[in-house]
Amino acid sequence: MAMKRHLLLAGAAVLLAPMATALAVPPEDTIVVGISADVNTFDPAPISSRDNSNIAKHIFGTLYEITPDGDIVPDLAESYVVSEDGTSYTYTLREGLTCEDGEALTAEDAAYSFNRAADPDNAFTGNTPGFVFSSIQFQGAEAVSDLEVRIDLGRPNPVSFGLIAEVFIHCKDSYEAMTLDEAARNPVASGPYRLVSWEPGSQVVLERWKEDEGNFQNIIWRVIPEASTRTAELIAQNVDIITNVSPDQIDAINNSGSAKVAPVQGTRRIYVGFNMSDDFADTEGGAAIQNAEVRRALQYAVDVPSICTQLLNFECERATGLVNPPNGNPNLVPYPYDPEMAEQLLDEAGFPRADNGVRFEITLQAGRGRYLNDVNVVQAIGQFLSDVGVQTNVELLDWASTYVPLISQRKAGPMFFLGSGGGTWSPLYDMTDLSVVGAGTNYTHWDNPDWFDRWTDIAAAETEEERRVVINEMLEVFYEDSPWLLLYFQPDFYGVSSRVAFEPRRDEKVYLFDTKLAGN
Amino acid sequence: MSLGLKPEHADAVPSVGPVPPASPKGRELRKEFKRAWRSMVVAKWPVVALFILLCVVIAAVFGPLLAPFDPNRQNIMIRLLDPLQQSGNAFYLLGTDALGRDVFSRLLYGARISLLVGLCAIAVGGTIGVIAGLVSGYFGGWIDDVIMRLGDIQLAFPFILLAIMFLVVLGPGVLNIILVLGIGQWVTYARIVRAQTLSLREKEFVEAARALGDSTPSIIFRTILPNIVAPLTVIASFNVASVILSEAALSFLGLGVPPSVPTWGSMLAESRDQLIANRWWLAFFPGIAIVLTVLSFNIIGDWLRDFLDPRLKTIG
Repeated sequence: MAMKRHLLLAGAAVLLAPMATALAVPPEDTIVVGISADVNTFDPAPISSRDNSNIAKHIFGTLYEITPDGDIVPDLAESYVVSEDGTSYTYTLREGLTCEDGEALTAEDAAYSFNRAADPDNAFTGNTPGFVFSSIQFQGAEAVSDLEVRIDLGRPNPVSFGLIAEVFIHCKDSYEAMTLDEAARNPVASGPYRLVSWEPGSQVVLERWKEDEGNFQNIIWRVIPEASTRTAELIAQNVDIITNVSPDQIDAINNSGSAKVAPVQGTRRIYVGFNMSDDFADTEGGAAIQNAEVRRALQYAVDVPSICTQLLNFECERATGLVNPPNGNPNLVPYPYDPEMAEQLLDEAGFPRADNGVRFEITLQAGRGRYLNDVNVVQAIGQFLSDVGVQTNVELLDWASTYVPLISQRKAGPMFFLGSGGGTWSPLYDMTDLSVVGAGTNYTHWDNPDWFDRWTDIAAAETEEERRVVINEMLEVFYEDSPWLLLYFQPDFYGVSSRVAFEPRRDEKVYLFDTKLAGN
Repeated sequence: MSLGLKPEHADAVPSVGPVPPASPKGRELRKEFKRAWRSMVVAKWPVVALFILLCVVIAAVFGPLLAPFDPNRQNIMIRLLDPLQQSGNAFYLLGTDALGRDVFSRLLYGARISLLVGLCAIAVGGTIGVIAGLVSGYFGGWIDDVIMRLGDIQLAFPFILLAIMFLVVLGPGVLNIILVLGIGQWVTYARIVRAQTLSLREKEFVEAARALGDSTPSIIFRTILPNIVAPLTVIASFNVASVILSEAALSFLGLGVPPSVPTWGSMLAESRDQLIANRWWLAFFPGIAIVLTVLSFNIIGDWLRDFLDPRLKTIG
């Protein structure tokens, strides 16, 4: 009998042991963040997603950092000089910088970080080679002295400085000694934290190695794809901060007594793109959206403010373009929700309702679970469009395995739902998505010369006022020609445990250097 | 026990005219049905299960007539209404979901997909499995080896993993899910049919058919097959339940049918984010529909097994 009791107790202990771990509040020197998307790589060059980049920023330094308000903050560099023609930037690094392995970080390393990302042999895709380098037309980087590095651009671009600030810097010798596979798994830190362990799909553990930077000794990033699981973990205080709180769970968190939701107006531009490439031109819907009148008509068909209040739990003003407020064209008025106007314009465009009430059929593709309440938002848009006779078939695809490859190849469509990260420090940063017709971020294949030819005028403008005139004209073209079905600038909801003091940023950057325990 | 008793006053029911004499086959069938019904009544639960399945069938067949709203009609202004709520002139018996769609209407339409997928997948898997089992058992030799080893290979993979793999390649859709689930079931049928065929092919009546010059297909399909229908029926009834569960699981994972087609599994998946906010009805009703349907098929399967087992024939 006693034997049985002991066995039962032992069994219960074994069963409860993992629960005890699962319910542990993190120690005081550790902060735990619950994120929605998995990490793909720790190689600084091909990083492409926001969650991945947020973790990487704790491991790798950048030359400068731009705050959401446009303030310039030095990081590894302490000063910079721009050449007269605006096509080269020379940065002076701080003295005494080292990487995690003790290697000195000099201008040669900084130049190597840029050139390695651009090296065609490495065939990198991602934010640095795909967005930054194509936007600034990167020509090369060179160490001018031990502490000075020069970055050469193809043409002057007013937002080059901010774009260069997105490139992660790392040490040359350690990276030259590694294969690409090894570099993806074994980052050698130049920032305040270093990687301790990475369990793909589960968690990333970082440890502080620069004593004077960051308040926590350890940062644990837990990958929790399910929104309700993230919420439950936050309420149980197993994690301190969660990203992408589902709007329907805000009350549950606020009423929990252990955490609150910190809302912030984000800068991500959410839109439905009209893919005008030849890939879709021979489909019924693909052919229809080649017509600017049709695209404009559809702007009136979607009730964006109701989508915001009902599905996203916030009041929004509909976007008038691709530029974050307050940098948009002030003369443009958001398209109102007016289904009758939409129907009238579709009739005039030569797409009357057939006997079955349908004008034309079209597919709307979207990834699942990347953006705030995206599955419901996309289906609601499908319903609004169907209501005016545009039979919309919503296709929800797996984000990472199916949708991202389609988007990267610019083959999503004929209509696709997407969010593009933006900024408020310059309208041109947001407009850079459409820097050239063939840009990797021009997912709609829009090619209106009234937009694309004006980039030369932007470069040639001598004053901010002159540039602003061109920007406003370009935004008007964008508004009228409607390559995007304009939606909203996504709000971000962060769940924050009462244990920590954390201020979310507008640009989705979760940087924990200044975060501390509440009350400290 | 009042088994086999005529209903009270049965003799008093007036006759409306001469009743044509029932054929011996018809009489036999009617007798068998009566015996089945009596067996069900004695066991009690199969009657309840039958009633539930009847409701599901009615919901599936007459869904468009019974549903008060279009199951896909969204209205985000009335989203997440509790059950028994009135909004304007409309009454929402089981509430609305996150897009303002009527849960009751979606539940009725969901029955269609569950039954359609369940029955069609069994038809696909059963047909392949029965033919493979008959051929394998009757001919033996290398054909038997090949078919059975193929089955062994398939069984070596966890079924749900195999289904996910196929659906990722083929894409979601009702037809694809029927094919995948059907193909996943064939081995069960093939093994049972093979075992039965192995034993039956040596029986005297098969020998006799062979001696009378019947062709091989005729012996397989007209002499052997009718004799293995009983165990097949039992397996199929259990199988429908497991296929319905698999469809729900795949829809829950987002690999089932497109979002425009309401299914119980996808309704459950959509309710995930709402559970923590106490919107219980979104998971409860599709969940209970799945549980009751699967349980009913299992009870019927259990009863059929007993009913068709000659060793347990105590009634009738």
